[in-house]
Amino acid sequence: MEPAVDRQRTGVQPPRVDARALPLHLDVQLFSSGLGAGITRPPGCHVAAQQLINTPRLLPAWQPNWGPVKSIGVSFPECPVAESPTTDSFDSNLDGAFDVPELGPQASPHAKSLSRGRARNKTTRISVPTDALSITDRLFYLLQPPIETLLSGQELVMPFEPFPFQYHGIAWLFSQGSALLADEMGLGKTMQAISALRLLMRAGQIRSVLLVCPKPLITNWQRELQMWAEEIPVVAIEGPSARRRMLWEMPNVPVKVANYELLVRDLEMIGEDDFPAFDLLILDEAQRIKNRESRTNQAARSLKRHRSWALTGTPIENRPSEFVSLLEFLGAVPDHSVTDIRQLNRLANKYVLRRTKDRVLKDLPPRLDREELLELTPAQQTAYVTAEQEGIVRLDELGESITIQHVFELVLRLKQICNYDPLTGQSCKMDRLAAEIEEISDSGGKAILFSQWTKSLDWMNQKLQHFRPLIYHGAVPSSRRDAVLERFRRDPDCPLLLMSYGVGAVGLNLQFAGYVFLYDRWWNPAVEDQAINRAHRIGQQNPVLVTKFICRNTIEERIDKVLQQKRELFQAVLGDSEISNASLSLDAQDIFGLFELKAGHGDQLRSITPPSIENG
Amino acid sequence: MNGPAVNSRAFRIGFLAALETDDGAFVAGLLVTNRYGRPLEFQCTSPVRPTHAQQLLYGETLRPFLLGELMGRALLDRLGSPPDLLVTDNDHILDLRHHIAIPMARVEPQSDDSTGATTAPPLGRVRMGRRILSIHSSHETDIAALHHGATQVTADADLQEPIERVRQALAETLQGQQSGNPSGTRS
Repeated sequence: MEPAVDRQRTGVQPPRVDARALPLHLDVQLFSSGLGAGITRPPGCHVAAQQLINTPRLLPAWQPNWGPVKSIGVSFPECPVAESPTTDSFDSNLDGAFDVPELGPQASPHAKSLSRGRARNKTTRISVPTDALSITDRLFYLLQPPIETLLSGQELVMPFEPFPFQYHGIAWLFSQGSALLADEMGLGKTMQAISALRLLMRAGQIRSVLLVCPKPLITNWQRELQMWAEEIPVVAIEGPSARRRMLWEMPNVPVKVANYELLVRDLEMIGEDDFPAFDLLILDEAQRIKNRESRTNQAARSLKRHRSWALTGTPIENRPSEFVSLLEFLGAVPDHSVTDIRQLNRLANKYVLRRTKDRVLKDLPPRLDREELLELTPAQQTAYVTAEQEGIVRLDELGESITIQHVFELVLRLKQICNYDPLTGQSCKMDRLAAEIEEISDSGGKAILFSQWTKSLDWMNQKLQHFRPLIYHGAVPSSRRDAVLERFRRDPDCPLLLMSYGVGAVGLNLQFAGYVFLYDRWWNPAVEDQAINRAHRIGQQNPVLVTKFICRNTIEERIDKVLQQKRELFQAVLGDSEISNASLSLDAQDIFGLFELKAGHGDQLRSITPPSIENG
Repeated sequence: MNGPAVNSRAFRIGFLAALETDDGAFVAGLLVTNRYGRPLEFQCTSPVRPTHAQQLLYGETLRPFLLGELMGRALLDRLGSPPDLLVTDNDHILDLRHHIAIPMARVEPQSDDSTGATTAPPLGRVRMGRRILSIHSSHETDIAALHHGATQVTADADLQEPIERVRQALAETLQGQQSGNPSGTRS
């Protein structure tokens, strides 16, 4: 038997033991039967041990009362779970509540390949947002599993294995109420945004999402949503106004996709007060709201929402104020804020996630840039010199009345001559291009060519007919654009796609093309990079050769220098550079600076600068 | 197999862990997840500091008493709905099994099979996902619940990972309390 103290120490509630006393002292009575009187031996009496049913444990019956234990609890909202997967379009959901199906471990053929390819020891945890103050809010994020666990083909099917930096981006978006995902073009901002919204939906954090993008990208988003979040019903806002009004008010389609122009128009039609509120508003190609006075910017900012994400590879195209506009949309700074480069740097650290391909995609084939410095043909040279001299003389004569528009017109005129001489059709660029396309075509490659002008593209189309080029610019009806891209993708006899910067630079996936030509230069490097990254993006198997045609001793050389300076400005705000005195108004100054313009005052000559700069 | 009667779609796993603070107090946390590790509910205790009397009375059995019987059971009582299986990596917490009717298991240390190899676990143990789990020696019938659980989680599930989440959450709550913010909010 245990001592009393030992029994008390155990402190464990003992199982109940039933005990019953067995009398061992038996009464014995003798009766005389008359038989065997000779037997005098007394009857025998034996005692035997018996096993108890339960093993008795000798534990204390006394239990101290230590008082209640205080606790706090967090419950996690769940999205409704359907019985079976569904890929219904919104039409089949009109009468039913929105359900996110729960998928089994092998619900998709993609799931297996995904988990097989994943590095199983790598995990990406969701960080606690800095604005989560209460302990329950913080615990909500802390207790979320690693992103890989959720997206490993178990609960949510992923068609492809994301890269580690994409897992990080998804985790970051998940915990950000206000976020600017500014990854370089081609790193999968679309996929990261879709995956993050999918997780938020699954976690019961959001139920309604509005995605706004440029019109040409609507079908692209629909396709990506189908691929990365097949279980989420999506509707594109389109059609006549009555239908659009019905679509806006449709309650059981969690993701609505609209283009910027329609958003502005429908906001006016429905009115701010009656316009539906959203749990999450995503602006794709968010540089579209860079002008804080534009209707697009004001419409986006006026929408009622809980979370705001902006996606753009070029948060700054020309000046830091564009970045400030995005921060205003995110609610990171008050409206009409004035911020310096240092403040912007600090805000960027908090609200912006930007990765570049050279840092995160070590395996992506390299992008090889080469500048083709070409000599103008004699006819081009004559036309160019004439136009430049006449133009400068005319600008000088304008004196103080000169405007940016006057200079701009001359720049355009000279750039066009660099493309080809309108009188003779001579073109040093075309001569070089034809030779290169010949070689690319012979080797089975594909090339994309960008130009600023549809007129130049049409002219090239005529000149290069023997290569059966395809054209994709603003004059091509929207309904035919997808077919053009599909043919370029499939038809081995179509090695060349002629695109305008305006239409072809954003959102398209053309990673099967290994050659990019910039026939003429755009006004800022961000747009050029966007154009190049149609081909140089995830999925590209080969190095991408980027050829920039620059005519020697022409305005194109000067423009090239300006573009380089703008790259440095971009680095100053989003990179590590310490450039802090970057000009806030580069465009006008740059364009004026392309010519040495002088105004005469008697014998005195002084430089002409844009009025906005002079006034300060 | 006498496995528990559970609905496979609603299979829930509870993960129990505890931390000891520098001044000898204990906090315990219980995270209930679905079979994919997604959190459903979390409960954690405020710090419990054993009294001198408790230390004298319980001696070597103080931790099983505090972590299991006292705190573990309190956490279970406060859950909205109980899990089908409780998992811990702490032997003291495993003694909670004496006081509850829910099957319990312990994650075997060094049992992470991250290579994907499927070596058979020793007798009396069950592989669930990447880990090998064992049961309390006094509750051998729990092995059936483990076998059932193994069919519910995916092959690459790591049942140690949610326990680490619980520890992080406990550290976070302790940090909030030590910063003198009784409301549990951070400034």
